[in-house]
Amino acid sequence: MEELSFLEKLHNLQDTYGYIPEREISNLAEEADISRAKVFGVISFYSMFYTEPTGKYIVRICDSLSCYVNDSEDLVKAVQDYLEIEDGETSKDKKFSLEVVECLGHCGEGPVMMINNKTFTQLNEKKALNILKECK
Amino acid sequence: MPKIKIDGEELEVELGTTILEAAKEVQVNIPTLCYLEELSVYGGCRLCVVEIEGEKNLKPACATEIAEGMEIKTHSEKVRRVRKNIFELIISSHNIGCELNCLDCSWNISCELKEIAELIEIDQSRLDSINERYDDDNSSHAVVRKMNKCIDCTRCVRKCEEIQGVGIFTKANRGPETLITTFKNKGMGNVECANCGQCIHACPTGALHESYHYNSVWHFLNDDSKFVVVQTAPSVRVALSEGFGEEPGTVATGQMVAALRRLGFDRVFDTNFSADLTIMEEGYELIGRIKEGGKLPMFTSCSPGWIKFIEHFYPEYLPHLSTCKSPQQMLGAVAKSYYAEQHGINVEDMIVVSVMPCTAKKFEASRLEMEDDVDFVLTTRELIRMIKESGLDMMNLAEEKADKMMGASSGAADIFGATGGVMEAALRTAYEVITEEELGKLDFKTLRGLAGIKEAEVEIGELTVKAAVAHGLGNAKELMERIEAGAEYHFVEVMACPGGCVGGGGQPVPTNQETVEKRLNSLYQIDAEKKLRKSHENPEIKAIYEEFLGEPGAKKSHDLLHTHYIPRSI
Repeated sequence: MEELSFLEKLHNLQDTYGYIPEREISNLAEEADISRAKVFGVISFYSMFYTEPTGKYIVRICDSLSCYVNDSEDLVKAVQDYLEIEDGETSKDKKFSLEVVECLGHCGEGPVMMINNKTFTQLNEKKALNILKECK
Repeated sequence: MPKIKIDGEELEVELGTTILEAAKEVQVNIPTLCYLEELSVYGGCRLCVVEIEGEKNLKPACATEIAEGMEIKTHSEKVRRVRKNIFELIISSHNIGCELNCLDCSWNISCELKEIAELIEIDQSRLDSINERYDDDNSSHAVVRKMNKCIDCTRCVRKCEEIQGVGIFTKANRGPETLITTFKNKGMGNVECANCGQCIHACPTGALHESYHYNSVWHFLNDDSKFVVVQTAPSVRVALSEGFGEEPGTVATGQMVAALRRLGFDRVFDTNFSADLTIMEEGYELIGRIKEGGKLPMFTSCSPGWIKFIEHFYPEYLPHLSTCKSPQQMLGAVAKSYYAEQHGINVEDMIVVSVMPCTAKKFEASRLEMEDDVDFVLTTRELIRMIKESGLDMMNLAEEKADKMMGASSGAADIFGATGGVMEAALRTAYEVITEEELGKLDFKTLRGLAGIKEAEVEIGELTVKAAVAHGLGNAKELMERIEAGAEYHFVEVMACPGGCVGGGGQPVPTNQETVEKRLNSLYQIDAEKKLRKSHENPEIKAIYEEFLGEPGAKKSHDLLHTHYIPRSI
């Protein structure tokens, strides 16, 4: 089998655990003969790798320019109030993690929210909260 | 060889030479910041940019190799302007505002940023400095990190990884959020840091300094109810004077003792005494292991950086470590027993301070296995601060001698501060103890010098002792790999810092190959000039065994002078 690249290995770990656990970082470091600090450095460069467990649903809301002019600020506020968490936090029941992010690539259809791998466009507060309520 | 021109000077240089190196050949020093000769080239700070005829963009001199016909300008109008702009950007990320004043900076007398500002004639700083308001990292017993002063030059990252082979630092995140940090931001005290403090010597800005004990020491010096004793490591006496403008390697043993008395220490002892004591204990331990088939090779245990390193990275080799405490801990242990008993001093009232070239000694003194031995550890730099604060003109003080009972030492103890020195000292004693003959030639030249790993075979009677010596943890790692691959030795000496303790993380700035070599030569000079050059002939050592300890390795010695180690994970 072809040797996986370092990033592919990180993706596999992220997909398997939902985050990259410490012991796996140490294993990777040993395999590659680099320090675990360095592996952490690589992981931290990419915003979609996590070193701590996240919620079942990762909610990402864009607040880049075109979403912002379409009231993403209010959307963020509404979602924060509903989930009772701030940007970068995970809800107590470990169901949701919230991230305010830069550009999700749908600038013509803002404001935009992504839940795990699914993208929702042209949102307003009501639509967004309904989508969140559907997350079981 | 390619012909090039630097600032109009023609020269021929070998292919592969960088512009920075080539410029030195025509006596041009291009200013650098993230570049350090001993480390890999990073090329991140861009301060060393130069103009190359026919090329649009300026190029970093440290990371650009010369090519045939290159015409380089190192201080054209464009270069001078861009260099200043770059420097302004760099210092805007280093919080230099009133909140983080230069006056209280650990690097206030040796700031590279100030030096560069002078070199490139900076005449304005138009940008407000960014204060990220990072918390200081106080998690380590040895080293403090002040991230608001960090300029992301990565010199500490590379030093830790390339010279020390440990690699606790990394560059994390991206863009403006880029940050030098430890694994998962755990802090230096919670990762596999050896506490060697070499990162401090790499840092240009004072973002790293030792965990200070000097304020506590001042406090107890002013408390009349306490009996405060001090001990000084071999390497301090050949480096302390640098803080007072002397040439590196200037010996100031007598002046140092006088200054310590004037600071108010009740007794001034010499860690050299306990270095001799270490040789007795460690020498007998080695002889015992060889004769009785104990774990070999035996590893020295004087360097607390090395101890922490092996605990993290080679825990399966812990039984190979000598069980002897380091000289610092031994002196503390006998000061609070032997000396206190003989002089009727209440141990509760005794404060033991040590002056060490080392940051890891601060961690060592706090180890639970022996936390009562030494109360505070000052680095050489901290002692310089204290002497300066006291107003003493140290170099003009009349020389004094350390206090009796624990103040005399052999030349063998002085060379503890040099890589190979502990090995040499041990062999001098082991030879005479085993063969019961006088050792003719005391100098073991093969064990001296700055080669990364030194190996020697020494005939002791019918036994050939195979010895290996490494300094700097990167070299230690290589030696451990040799041992894992089957290399056989009886005795292995490892010092965590390049050059041994003379190059320790607590030594004056700059600590580099040049200063390390000068300090090292002075230690060998002190040894050569001493009449007493073998630990077992030290009369005070003889006395402590006769009056107090009994035999080396006996019950009392074992309780006071030996310790154990802890396997630690990574």
